[in-house]
Amino acid sequence: MVLEEEIPKFAAWFGPAVLTFLLTAGLVILFVGLAAWVVQAVRDGPLAAGDRVYRGVLTGLQDLAGTSPRRVWALARLAIKEALRRNVLVVLGVFGLVILFAGWFLDPATVDPGRLYLGFILAATSFLVCTVTLVLAVFSLPADIKSKAIQTVTTKPVRTGEIVLGRFLGFAVVGTVLLAIMGLAGWGFVVRSVQHGHEIASLDVREVRDEEGGLTGFEGRTGPGRGHRHFLRLDADGNGIAETFHGHRHPVTARSQDGQLVFEVGPPAGILEARRPLRGTLRFLDREGRPAAKGISVGAEWAYRQYIEGGTAAAAIWTFEGVGEDEFPDGLPLEMTVRVFRTYKGTITEGIHGTVQLRNPSTQLRSEAFPIVAREFTIDELWIPRQLNTVLADGGVRKADLYADFVSDGRVEVWLQCLEPAQYYGVAQADFYLRAGDGSFAVNYAKSCLGAWFAMLIVTAMGVMFSTFLSAPVALVSSLAVLLIGQFREFIARLFTSQVTGDASIAPGGGPIESLYRIVTQTSITLELDPTPAVQAMKLVDTVLLAPMRLAAGLFPSLASLGTGEFVAGGFDIPGDLLAAHAAETLAYVAAFCIGGAFCLRAREVAS
Amino acid sequence: MTPSNTAPAPSSDEVVIEARNLSKVYRDFWGRDKKAALKPLNLAVKRGEIFGLLGPNGSGKTTTLKLLLGLIFPTSGEAFVFGRPATDVAKNERIGYLPEESYLYKFLDAEETLDFYGRLFGMPPEERARRAAALIEMVGLGRDRKRQLREYSKGMTRRIGIAQALINDPELVLLDEPTSGLDPIGTREVKDLIIDLKRRGKTVVMCSHLLADVEDVCDRIAVLHQGELKELGRVEDLLRVTGVTQFQARDLAPEAYDAVRKVLAEHGASDVEIGHPRTTLEDLFLDVVRDTEARPGRRAQAAATPAKPTGA
Repeated sequence: MVLEEEIPKFAAWFGPAVLTFLLTAGLVILFVGLAAWVVQAVRDGPLAAGDRVYRGVLTGLQDLAGTSPRRVWALARLAIKEALRRNVLVVLGVFGLVILFAGWFLDPATVDPGRLYLGFILAATSFLVCTVTLVLAVFSLPADIKSKAIQTVTTKPVRTGEIVLGRFLGFAVVGTVLLAIMGLAGWGFVVRSVQHGHEIASLDVREVRDEEGGLTGFEGRTGPGRGHRHFLRLDADGNGIAETFHGHRHPVTARSQDGQLVFEVGPPAGILEARRPLRGTLRFLDREGRPAAKGISVGAEWAYRQYIEGGTAAAAIWTFEGVGEDEFPDGLPLEMTVRVFRTYKGTITEGIHGTVQLRNPSTQLRSEAFPIVAREFTIDELWIPRQLNTVLADGGVRKADLYADFVSDGRVEVWLQCLEPAQYYGVAQADFYLRAGDGSFAVNYAKSCLGAWFAMLIVTAMGVMFSTFLSAPVALVSSLAVLLIGQFREFIARLFTSQVTGDASIAPGGGPIESLYRIVTQTSITLELDPTPAVQAMKLVDTVLLAPMRLAAGLFPSLASLGTGEFVAGGFDIPGDLLAAHAAETLAYVAAFCIGGAFCLRAREVAS
Repeated sequence: MTPSNTAPAPSSDEVVIEARNLSKVYRDFWGRDKKAALKPLNLAVKRGEIFGLLGPNGSGKTTTLKLLLGLIFPTSGEAFVFGRPATDVAKNERIGYLPEESYLYKFLDAEETLDFYGRLFGMPPEERARRAAALIEMVGLGRDRKRQLREYSKGMTRRIGIAQALINDPELVLLDEPTSGLDPIGTREVKDLIIDLKRRGKTVVMCSHLLADVEDVCDRIAVLHQGELKELGRVEDLLRVTGVTQFQARDLAPEAYDAVRKVLAEHGASDVEIGHPRTTLEDLFLDVVRDTEARPGRRAQAAATPAKPTGA
């Protein structure tokens, strides 16, 4: 899977994150307070405005401090009843239809059906739940204000914060229940969809014999199932595996029937897993074997993976730390994803050959080279045993122990080299890892649903906040706009940096005005515009326009960044640090939206 | 005799509500003045009295109530309830409010409605249940307690609105057009309820444009017109017609009329009128209904049966 940024330890992430949050919140409060003062000052003069803002903030804070969980729960119950009586459960029927259609239209013969089904179900679940709670949230309070029912609530000892929190909590409970039901149904759908078996016809299997004619095993292919077949590699007793294809393998067992071996294919393995990787840090050597900051770029494309040239001294080197006998008593289970860039086609059905070696980072002792064949889009497994050979300087070979000879203070290096000249291996840091264990897929799936839950909470809180001062349709559009900007926050940040630094390679094409100009004049985004005064002015306007967008993008939530579906779909356990960070981020947004909503509702007249 | 005459006088000089130069100007989006709903108003309501805000539609009655409740903010001036600013939420612990149209949650039934509002006061479950049951019976919705409010008639909605206003046994009850939408029986019951609240030491502020209702129950009234306070005082004082004296007597024979006129003339009275006083249409209607409920069909039979010839 792609992991563009290293996942920081939560303990290390939390402190700076809280500081950033407080700083941002302080700036927002300052800005909003100033804006409120200006508006009031225009009407009532600066002194009266200052007094009102001060009293508003003070009483608002007192109200927040007096929040009663009982009243919040009473209002939450009301929101739940409202949702139920608006037939919110109909969405479960819609989800049922979605599953039904997914069963028809999703192609089980795809390269990675687990990823396809999981990705679809998680996205559909998240989308439906977020949509439902957002609509409930933005329509509820304006409907109360319009019907004036809010007047019978605000004339009770109810704080505005309790109204906002109650709405949020109520709809969050509804969303949680919906998510739980959909998650369970989705789980059943995915597990059922990826399960399959294969027949093995005797004609498809041939015996493998040694030079003396003794039976050493069998090889062949399974019959088709879900649009694919597997190569077989079985021992002399007929037991073995149907080799990995489309991201999974099958155990194969044999039994004797009427004097003949009958092969039975077990359920798919290697699919719907939750690997726990121990990741290392990556560095490169160039074609002369000198340290290099990066590998080779094979074109103006995504720079996530760097390439090493085949048939040279170029190498990609991972340094793993914390490797010990307790964690890996029998050897190192190395798993790797290696991309290939071919400068000539060669035999396209075959992979590109290379080697993997271990090296002691202190003594520089190297192990023998393990041959690998890199195939695109598969995770290759390499078992590095406890006992292995090392090549001596005189060309001789001696036995060595993994931990005694190659691991130093828990550190070990893994070297990857491509053997074929003029072919390239492409790798990223996350592509090589030691499989430190496996989590439960069910738990991992639940963790991924937690990502959807976080998104739902943020969307609900935001919807409630906007509904405190906007009409329902406007609140809905505003929420969607914020979410849309949040989705593109990284792009907007890059665009702004590109605009300020003048480095077009960061985000080619320029800001909104320049983009419009390029569309109208059909100018490619890769072409530099002549620095005429008009172009300079255009860029300046773009920078001015992008500044608030950059600010907004920094503040707005990105639901995509909370998604952990890629981990589950890729078969990796979702790290607890990541979940904790997402939970803290969600809490921060929910708190900010609820407090903002409470102040907005307090500042407005609920009657007219 | 009006019911208010039977109620005790205000028991305290404690000021429960105070408005000081309270005004409200509605503004448009750009902050320009659109309508002066209430011009600077000064008034005080004392504990234990029934205070009426009287005026035609658009006179500023409801605006005044909303300002007192903190539902809208004053353009200038201040409002205090129980000595606290009107925007202070804590005052609501002691207040009951019936809005103009009983704005309630239509998807709840009567029990759920009262339970919900009871929860907002932090009432324990047993007390909520007990109080809700008593109020539902009091407003005559016992048979409809499980029906959603969307199925209620206007009068029934008004009744449950009154019940929610009393869920916390408030010290101060603010009623906006309390008899609106009610039939004469309901109207009378509400008026009796208001008087009963006063008897129990509660303070009631009601606004209405139904003059008879205000006259029947209020101790003091404020008359508003075009957002301005025009009159303020005790009902008896405001309605007293000076220079005219009224006598009432039961079973006075017509033969005595001339003697009475003569005596009055001797004392210099002019424009003397003697006749039978009229009852109100409300009293007549209530008599009919009560009588019919006590003895079904009697009045109908009496009206339908032709009079028998006498002496046949």
